[in-house]
Amino acid sequence: MNTDFLSEIQRDALQEIVNISMGQAADSLARLIETHVQLSIPYITQTNSQDFISLLTAQQQHLAQQSFWGELNGEMISLISNSGCDALGALMHYDPPLEEQDIQELVLELTNILAGACLQGLSTQLGFKTHLAAPTLLTKHTWSAEQLPWQQALLIEVSFVLTNTDFKSRVLFCLQQDSVDPLTNQLDLLLQ
Amino acid sequence: MPIPITIADDSALSRKTIQRALPPGWDVVVHEAKNGKEAIVAVESGLAEVLFLDLQMPEMDGYEVLTHIKQHHEKAVVIVISADIQPEAQAMVSALGAFRFLKKPLDGQLLAATLKELGLI
Repeated sequence: MNTDFLSEIQRDALQEIVNISMGQAADSLARLIETHVQLSIPYITQTNSQDFISLLTAQQQHLAQQSFWGELNGEMISLISNSGCDALGALMHYDPPLEEQDIQELVLELTNILAGACLQGLSTQLGFKTHLAAPTLLTKHTWSAEQLPWQQALLIEVSFVLTNTDFKSRVLFCLQQDSVDPLTNQLDLLLQ
Repeated sequence: MPIPITIADDSALSRKTIQRALPPGWDVVVHEAKNGKEAIVAVESGLAEVLFLDLQMPEMDGYEVLTHIKQHHEKAVVIVISADIQPEAQAMVSALGAFRFLKKPLDGQLLAATLKELGLI
């Protein structure tokens, strides 16, 4: 895997823009659960559909997907571990043990907050119009590489960790190949 | 006499964004720092009467820079410009002596209003 889609300076710029978007997402979450969220440095790479699917098949985690379309196309995937879900439930005053329905509610709510803010932040800063579909839960049998509408994509991975808890959530931001040119053109404009 | 100011941020895009947002006509000499260590060198060399400081940086982060400035009684008006905009980050930098906390993406009008409020322009 490499980041051939982007030059070094474009990658730096995209990383900063994603960083700002994550900051906004983390702030929404922090205000909801009254806990500070640690941010990681966004990891940007190029992926293919096979590798991407293998990222989603790890055990003991919950997944949700949100497609976006418009001037940029792709999908956001949120991943949260079982223990992370319990930690989030506790912070949001759910009674343990979590029922299946509670888990679904938490995962979808978290996806909306994190993925929504990430996409919003990225689109606004770059001046793109995008629309985000409602999140759906993914089961392990839902996805295969053949079903993806792309073979190559730009993958941005960010993670959110809550201090002093088991909570960790990853958001994978997958931008289809045909959206990469508009993205890099816009990055170049900002860098002028 | 132009005022020496330093923009400390590891991202080239952010340094550029801040520089572009500076009020036109503000008589300054702009220096750049790519990490916390360079920011401290700038402060100690008198290149940062005003320091625009990012929080997440390699080598030494913005919190460490603020701590150093506080401990060594350095004179610099520090304006934090950060992507981490959570209440805890804002409270921490304020406790460490930063004059103001501005959110990224930077709002140019807010920056001008802040500089005015601090009597810098």
